[in-house]
Amino acid sequence: MQKDATLDARGLMCPMPIVQLAKKVKELKSGQVLELLADDVGAKEDVPAWCSRTGNQLAGTEEEGKLLKFYIKVK
Amino acid sequence: MADKLCMVVSEGTFDKAYMPLIMGTTAAATGTEVHVFYTFFGTGLLKKVAKPKLPGMYRLFTGMFSKKMKKVGIPSHDEFMKQAMDMGVNFYACTTTMGLMGVKEEDLKPGVKILGAASFLKLAADANTTLFIG
Repeated sequence: MQKDATLDARGLMCPMPIVQLAKKVKELKSGQVLELLADDVGAKEDVPAWCSRTGNQLAGTEEEGKLLKFYIKVK
Repeated sequence: MADKLCMVVSEGTFDKAYMPLIMGTTAAATGTEVHVFYTFFGTGLLKKVAKPKLPGMYRLFTGMFSKKMKKVGIPSHDEFMKQAMDMGVNFYACTTTMGLMGVKEEDLKPGVKILGAASFLKLAADANTTLFIG
């Protein structure tokens, strides 16, 4: 999937991937796509929950073993 | 209106110190207004330097625990509180217990506000979520 930026949150655990995601999204422009890499199991539910709460669009997810990839389209 | 989360922290141990920071930063990351009110043994956590220990016998393992948390990206207590403040989380010291616990206004971390119970209850009255950590 096409992306404008990547945030590598691998190795970080709840709540840090979400905290960093919120910060990073603020730096991006509306319509840009952020790729978030995470391996915290909690992120699987937390990232979609964060997106629906904040109105940012979860444009796609991918799983490669333990690695989770989220594509977030900035509101 | 934005969502609002209010928490009361009445204990000063490591676990009780980190919980409001984890919940608070997560809520703030979602655009939620966050207010954390520290009372009794929690008040000491608002001092400029606070090094909370695990409860009881586990206090001996605090260092090991902190190292593990650092490895997964969770900063030290004081750093984490600063980060939470930068995200807009509000921290309050209870006026009465400051006297009881011997915490002076000048001992508090910059940015911590002092609040009475009535004012906190007013804040909490229309909160969506209120948690007691103690």
